[in-house]
Amino acid sequence: MRGRRFLLLLMMWLPLAVSAADNGYLKELIDHARAKHLAQRPEWLNLLHYKPYPYRPGWRSLADDPAFFNAPDGKTDAEAELDATLASFFSDTQETDKIQNPQCRFIARYHWLKGELHFDPALLPEQPCKRFYQWRAALNPHQITLVFPAAYLNNPASMYGHTLFRVDAKDQDEHTRLLAYSISYAANTAESRGLIFAVKGLLGYYPGLFTMTPYYIKVREYSDIENRDVWEYQLTLTPAEIDRLLMHVWELGPIRFDYYYFDENCAYHLLSLLEVARPGLELTDQFRWWAIPSDTVRAVAETPGLVKQVIYRPATATVIRQRLRYLDSLQRQLAKDLAEQKTPLTDARVSALSATDRAKVLELAYDYATYESATGSGPAADPQHMRDLLLARSGLDVPSQRPDVPEPAVRPDQGHKSSRLALGVGSRGGRQFQEIGLRPTYHDLMDDDGGYTRGAQIEFFDMAFRHYRGDDSLRLEHFTPLDIVSLTPRDEFFHPLSWKVNIGWTREHFADNDEPLVFRVNGGPGLAYNVPGSYDGRSVYYGYLEAVLDVGKRFNDDYALGGGPTVGWLTDLTDRWRVNLYARSWRYGLGDVHDSRELVLAQRYSLTRQSAVRLELFRQQEFQDYWNGGEISLHLYF
Amino acid sequence: MLKKLAVIAVIAAFPAGAMAAGSSDASGGCGVGSKVFEGQRGVAPQVLAMTTNGTFWQTVAVTLGTSGCSQDGVVKSNWKTAMFIDSNKDKLARDMSTGSGEALESLAKLIGVKDQDKAAFFRATKENFARIFASDDPTTDQVVASLKQVLSADGQLAQYAQAI
Repeated sequence: MRGRRFLLLLMMWLPLAVSAADNGYLKELIDHARAKHLAQRPEWLNLLHYKPYPYRPGWRSLADDPAFFNAPDGKTDAEAELDATLASFFSDTQETDKIQNPQCRFIARYHWLKGELHFDPALLPEQPCKRFYQWRAALNPHQITLVFPAAYLNNPASMYGHTLFRVDAKDQDEHTRLLAYSISYAANTAESRGLIFAVKGLLGYYPGLFTMTPYYIKVREYSDIENRDVWEYQLTLTPAEIDRLLMHVWELGPIRFDYYYFDENCAYHLLSLLEVARPGLELTDQFRWWAIPSDTVRAVAETPGLVKQVIYRPATATVIRQRLRYLDSLQRQLAKDLAEQKTPLTDARVSALSATDRAKVLELAYDYATYESATGSGPAADPQHMRDLLLARSGLDVPSQRPDVPEPAVRPDQGHKSSRLALGVGSRGGRQFQEIGLRPTYHDLMDDDGGYTRGAQIEFFDMAFRHYRGDDSLRLEHFTPLDIVSLTPRDEFFHPLSWKVNIGWTREHFADNDEPLVFRVNGGPGLAYNVPGSYDGRSVYYGYLEAVLDVGKRFNDDYALGGGPTVGWLTDLTDRWRVNLYARSWRYGLGDVHDSRELVLAQRYSLTRQSAVRLELFRQQEFQDYWNGGEISLHLYF
Repeated sequence: MLKKLAVIAVIAAFPAGAMAAGSSDASGGCGVGSKVFEGQRGVAPQVLAMTTNGTFWQTVAVTLGTSGCSQDGVVKSNWKTAMFIDSNKDKLARDMSTGSGEALESLAKLIGVKDQDKAAFFRATKENFARIFASDDPTTDQVVASLKQVLSADGQLAQYAQAI
């Protein structure tokens, strides 16, 4: 299919190439473009998404679709592509519902080249491009907003959060934003969850496509179903810049890019659109290896003069939590019972409430039943019951009791940066050591939560090197490609399951004091609860039950398989000071039978937003040996 | 839970009936509220073949179906209100029960309710909640039809009945 399209394009292009010889004006334009070195200009490179290879010299376009190029070797040859693009503009193809003239198909390129080369309309007639202009008129663009739904651990496709653009219309206001359109870039697959997605996504298996959807459908997806708080960064793009962005989006509509989970993802490609919109912005260069959505949001926010205003939109669950604060325990219980149909609407306790309180209880009951049904954490909503709740509410002559949710103190762009360097000194079993650790990305439970989703730890490729006094070498202490922990407290209204999964290499202490690296996979479910009197996970106690597999040559039978519980208490003593006290006891019952236990007191004190000190004290056991230890380390985020 | 999410996402992406109407609907019906819109069918632009030769938003074709609801990725103007109601029915019900909220604001915007009439519009939808959402699980057509009736019966708001 792709091959055929390519051939078709080639056939369309060939006659043009032939006629170029006797098209004096085309030759003049090409000479002019050469003289001005247009093919090397950032505007052209951005329009074609030419990027240097990360591993070797040379350039190529990130677009993986021959339809994006006019020259057969357009993917790698910017100059040939420019010549061929100029040639294509002489096409007299008339626009229909199925095909476009190249001037319209590549309308952003056309307008940039026209501006640079001052096309003579007598020699190169301009096409009307009605479809594009109708489309733009329907969008009625006035402002571009960068939308950032925060991290959502339970969907690997958007574990880090996600970014998209919203095209705000001229006649739209804060109350009617639902009517705007969103532009997003995503892997085009129904398989957006699970390990398969992660693996295929890492390898660039999926086609990535830019899509346009009414914003109300996106709100439903993120805010209502996945319960992610959404941050909206209104950008200062001028009308001319918005025009360029939309022209380029129009070009990209049907174009396939290979989707890469880490680098060529939604966040990266949206930045590239901004670079097209506002020449001179250099946003993608800093994300050559990976692009975490929150980091790209930070890059946008830190660009002087690019962000106008930031708006916070709480998720349904966040609003429910806020509603709960305005009710006493009796009313809360009543709302829950009403939602779950355990109490009839005619209950005397309902009619005993004041109209305002009744409105609060009914609204909460409806929201909660909707939430339970939408997220699948409760039974599907009974439509008759839902209507009864609303009917009862509509009969009360009081305004909406939906409370305002205060904006979190720290926005996603203001949180700690996601790479971290750790420098530590410590002692273990009486032996002193120095340690250097590097975590490329992105957040752990002991980091400051500001701007991040609380209770969501995601670390990739965390590693530490340690040097023991008296040794003459530095050794790899651990290397953890994947470490995810979800720690979400349960309460009377919300019953999330916590879980963790960890894959990597770590040092194991054997009886003869040998400490080789072993490969370890562990993980399992857990439960967490708020400490009575605390809220929002500022002080939680928790337990996990994990299975663990260790593999290494030193083990009898080369492996040890076991598991066991971890219990702990994680609390913020002040805004800067966090403590995690936990005990873990694993019994390896298969393979090399042994025990592994530890008791750890970990503390973090934030110095600035981008630096912290940690102090860890521990007592550990592997096989028959026990030892005590401690480490103090400085953590720098960059 | 994840399965359910997927199901909901699909429902969100394919407005009720859009699939059934499909591309065989040569008159360009969008599938949403097609009964209510019967009179306008001839006016509706012809069916758009979306995925051919890559000049359209392929994924919008995937998102909205090739049912004629959208052109080049934007919802055709004559389907805007029906699409919105269809995709936001639950939110509209909730908003109407309190007479406020952004789904209701957006609906008012779509049917062109002037600022000075907004309060009356919000109040009317709240007071007539039982009529507008007359059954447990009304179709978009039913909601549109009853909303039309409610507005027609209101001196101040009758002018908007035609816009739905």
